Amino acid sequence: MKNTLRQVFHSSKFVVGFVIFVAILVTMFVYPLINPGNPLEMIGVGTFARPGTYVSLYDATKTPTETFRLADADDKRLASQLSAEDRVAMVEWFTAAGIDVEGLDISDTDALLDMWRANYDASVKPKGMTNAKRNYYKRLNSAIEQVSAADTLIITDKDAETGELVEQGRVTKTDYVNVGQVTNVKTLPLGTDNFGRDVLKELVSAAGTSIVIGLLAGLVATLIGLTLGLLSGYVGGFVDDIIVFITNLFTVIPGFVLLILISYSIGQEQRGAAVVALVIGLTSWTWTCRSVRSQVISLRNRDHVNLSKLSGHSLVRIILTDILPYIASYVVMAFILQVSSGILAEAQLSLLGLGPKTTEVPTLGLMMNWAMLYSAHTNGSWWAYFPVILTITLISFSLNLMNTGLDQVFNPTLRD
Amino acid sequence: MKGYRKYFGKKIVWFLITLVVAVILNFILPRLMPADPVSAITGKMAQGMTDASAVQEIYKRYEEEFGTNKPLIEQFLIFVKNLFRGDLGTSFSQYPRKVSNIISSAIGWTVALQLPAIIVGWLIGNLLGALAAYIRKGFDKVLLPISLFLSNVPAFGMAVVLLVLFAVNWKIAPISGGYAFDMIPNFSWRFIQSVISHYQLPFWSIVLVSIGGQAVGMRSMSIYELNADYVKYARFLGVKDRKIVGYVFRNAMLPQVTGLAMSIGTMIGGALVAEIIFSYPGLGSTMYSAVTAADYPLISATTLIITFMVLVVSFLLDIIYGFIDPRVKAAQFDS
Amino acid sequence: MSKTMLEVKGLTTKYVTRFHEDVYAVDHVSLKIEQGKSLGIAGESGCGKSTLALSLMGYYFPPLHYMSGDIIVDGKNISGMDPDDVRKNVLGTEIAYIPQAAMNALNPTRKIHKFIEDVILAHDPKANKKDIYEMAKGRFAELGLPLEALDKHAVELSGGMKQRVVIAISTILKPKVLIADEPSSALDVTSQKMVIKMLRDMMDRGFIQAMIFITHELPLLYNVTDDIMVMYAGQIVERGSAKQMVFDPVHPYSRGLMNSILVPEEGTRDVKLTAIPGTPPNLKRPPAGCRFAERCRYAQPACRYNQMPIIDFEDGRTYRCGISVPELREIYRKEDEANAAQPTEAPTDGPVRLTKGV
Repeated sequence: MKNTLRQVFHSSKFVVGFVIFVAILVTMFVYPLINPGNPLEMIGVGTFARPGTYVSLYDATKTPTETFRLADADDKRLASQLSAEDRVAMVEWFTAAGIDVEGLDISDTDALLDMWRANYDASVKPKGMTNAKRNYYKRLNSAIEQVSAADTLIITDKDAETGELVEQGRVTKTDYVNVGQVTNVKTLPLGTDNFGRDVLKELVSAAGTSIVIGLLAGLVATLIGLTLGLLSGYVGGFVDDIIVFITNLFTVIPGFVLLILISYSIGQEQRGAAVVALVIGLTSWTWTCRSVRSQVISLRNRDHVNLSKLSGHSLVRIILTDILPYIASYVVMAFILQVSSGILAEAQLSLLGLGPKTTEVPTLGLMMNWAMLYSAHTNGSWWAYFPVILTITLISFSLNLMNTGLDQVFNPTLRD
Repeated sequence: MKGYRKYFGKKIVWFLITLVVAVILNFILPRLMPADPVSAITGKMAQGMTDASAVQEIYKRYEEEFGTNKPLIEQFLIFVKNLFRGDLGTSFSQYPRKVSNIISSAIGWTVALQLPAIIVGWLIGNLLGALAAYIRKGFDKVLLPISLFLSNVPAFGMAVVLLVLFAVNWKIAPISGGYAFDMIPNFSWRFIQSVISHYQLPFWSIVLVSIGGQAVGMRSMSIYELNADYVKYARFLGVKDRKIVGYVFRNAMLPQVTGLAMSIGTMIGGALVAEIIFSYPGLGSTMYSAVTAADYPLISATTLIITFMVLVVSFLLDIIYGFIDPRVKAAQFDS
Repeated sequence: MSKTMLEVKGLTTKYVTRFHEDVYAVDHVSLKIEQGKSLGIAGESGCGKSTLALSLMGYYFPPLHYMSGDIIVDGKNISGMDPDDVRKNVLGTEIAYIPQAAMNALNPTRKIHKFIEDVILAHDPKANKKDIYEMAKGRFAELGLPLEALDKHAVELSGGMKQRVVIAISTILKPKVLIADEPSSALDVTSQKMVIKMLRDMMDRGFIQAMIFITHELPLLYNVTDDIMVMYAGQIVERGSAKQMVFDPVHPYSRGLMNSILVPEEGTRDVKLTAIPGTPPNLKRPPAGCRFAERCRYAQPACRYNQMPIIDFEDGRTYRCGISVPELREIYRKEDEANAAQPTEAPTDGPVRLTKGV
């Protein structure tokens, strides 16, 4: 046993897979400690807030300021105000007005603005330019002027009695606050989803649920497959015929279809995560059964099994002591694959709208489903779906790597 | 030839048995469940209705439509009779469109998308897997982890990634649908062009996903075959390496054909979900809209037709296998 | 003095394991076979006899690697030749091989005549397919094999038939030396006899000039080959004529090996069957001295660190041991006497398989 374990951990594939999987598991347990709370809590009012650190604007104005005179502050402000389209539009105006733009680099904000200030004239009416377009340039110009002009923003509040505006504070361009001193700062490493939930917190919780679903489904499938495979392989005869018939039947009839039919029939309300896991397990035991059966058949007539039979040991005892230990590695491998396909099955079901009910716990499939429903993929909110895909892939990749590693240890012909 | 006839006879009988069981399951599974589909549907249709007798009316109507007021066995006979006439009932969500009509307009898209995609993925995957096994060293070291990783990207994940990269970011492919939304299907060049450009992303996402799994499987099979005794023997007789690689490739392919027959159900499951991402007008999207609209007859019919397709494909693969593996013929003579 | 068909001088080859360890499975092996003669090689499994068979082909692929030594076939030194040259001009035509597991030696999905075609085309790319087919037919007829077998796949043939077909294919190009690695071990007695008869027949009819026959079944060697060589841990420990080796083994290991089997003919001796205790040494780190010393009941302290050369002690007989031949013979004589005194005692080392070697 110890030796087998050492061999297993000598396989680099197994080790890489194991490390990834354990890392995911550790995150699952540790992250909720760092960032506790309900993963389904909707903290954001809008949809799809970008990943990043959010600073409360209100608290920031009440935070003691320091004055810094940074030479490039104005330029940065301008650069961030001028979008790529604006820059292209500016060059368009120059050309329309017949100004030579030879050698102008539009990413060079200084040069672009110098040229703009020197040449822009609202009264010029370049040929063929629509009024709307001219108004756009006017707005652009005033925006540019504002950034370079106004120095101070005044924060006011309405006096409750007189209704007059009372100055509360001033913010100048050289005022800086220390992020660490602002009372309310929220870091959302993966932003928020369509419901305004913290994606990272949701993802960690969903990965946990999905792994549990996978484990449960794998356990159910392995138990059924193992029992039937043992019976079929060891008992043989009529029992074998029946089990082989059923197994072959459910190998060709796609489990996915059965899964859809059963899930749909159960109905949204009854479909908790556990039920979904159970259904997945019930529809995916066939190949565990197949491989257990073939292994048992090759073991059935080995000397040690015959010896046990001659000694009058009971069927259960023979199976437990003379057969199971020999097929244990195959069963473990089959279980690992079942877990990974169970996770995938849940995701696919959820994408079809047949996943676990949406009010209790998030799963990876449900997160994917929500992201797709709210078009995260077409509106650029990559944080709502890409981490989910990556997580599913990594979980299943790590499980499969472990399986391949085990396979190479237990099937010497596949060794490198 | 006698051996073959016996083999094919067996396979045909097996195909019919699985078909019958599939139809029975398709009929019985939803009816075994505690929730009565008719009351579920009635509940949905009658939302907001206050008049109890009107709700009763709707319930009656659907009971009639499904025949749920009759004994189960009679219901089944009606179901089978209708099936033979190609009558799969009437859709709820696209009333009064016939389900068979909806299915027949979707099935072509699915077959045209998935069959070539799975075949191309299978071929490329097998080729790469065999190369990895033969070249080993560097190529294998790179290819195996990539293939393993690729094979674990879910089909819908690959679909989303391709969609975002090629359609949303680089705008070199259309985002969704089977053809431009402003067109009516016809045989003009413009339409065909539109179909082809809409075809690319769904096609390659299925291909890419199936490549990985096939390559990994083929690599193991090829390594196994490369270590086989007949390879050593042929080498010691001076047979050229290229010829031996031919032997190995062919023999390693054989289990891959059976493997495809056995995994086609799972693969189609994944690929159908990928269709949803692209709103491709095939069975996957049909199923999705049926589920969202609680269109029971449509769901039932879609699952049935998918099962039927899978059964036909595995049957055909079995037949092909019989021709390419002489062991099948030999085994028939043995028994 | 007849012509030397195969001469091997100091051949050393190694396996490289997946953990990059070197295993010298064939260590400075030298041997010589004359035209019309056959040589048997015996030893426990893992002693390097199968590796020797592979190494003698002069064609190496991982994990087996050539280190040093010469293989001279009919006056032509093939070690050091370009591998493709070996493939084209040596394999199958000069030296041919019959594998250990003939059951799986044929590609299951290729018809027999197609495979023969591949073999012949590999040596003569211009050969005409029709001629090849006719030639194969002729050869099968000569060897008494059913002609239908040519048009069948390997899976459609019985085990014994497969083995005979393999022999026919191996000798299709009339190689000078045939190396048969346990060609009959997996067969039932009838098929075994047929295979042996076929091999001897081929020697007699001149299809092959010389043969090396490798097996762990010593009685078989006694019946089949002229000479016998015993291998232990990658080295030759003794060589002599079949009769000498069976009735008068000199090396303690040979004696142990012979005592653990029954010789069925020629006045079977009344011997006590004994297994040799212990296991062969790990060839990743072979012992410094005699490799058998660890298991040898006559070993002296010097045996464990003195390198043992192979010594010629009689005409054509060689052995590798630190104890002189007369001394060994004296020890054996005493042992036999002692055994004869208490003849009917059960073997002390547990059950001994009668035909499966040690």
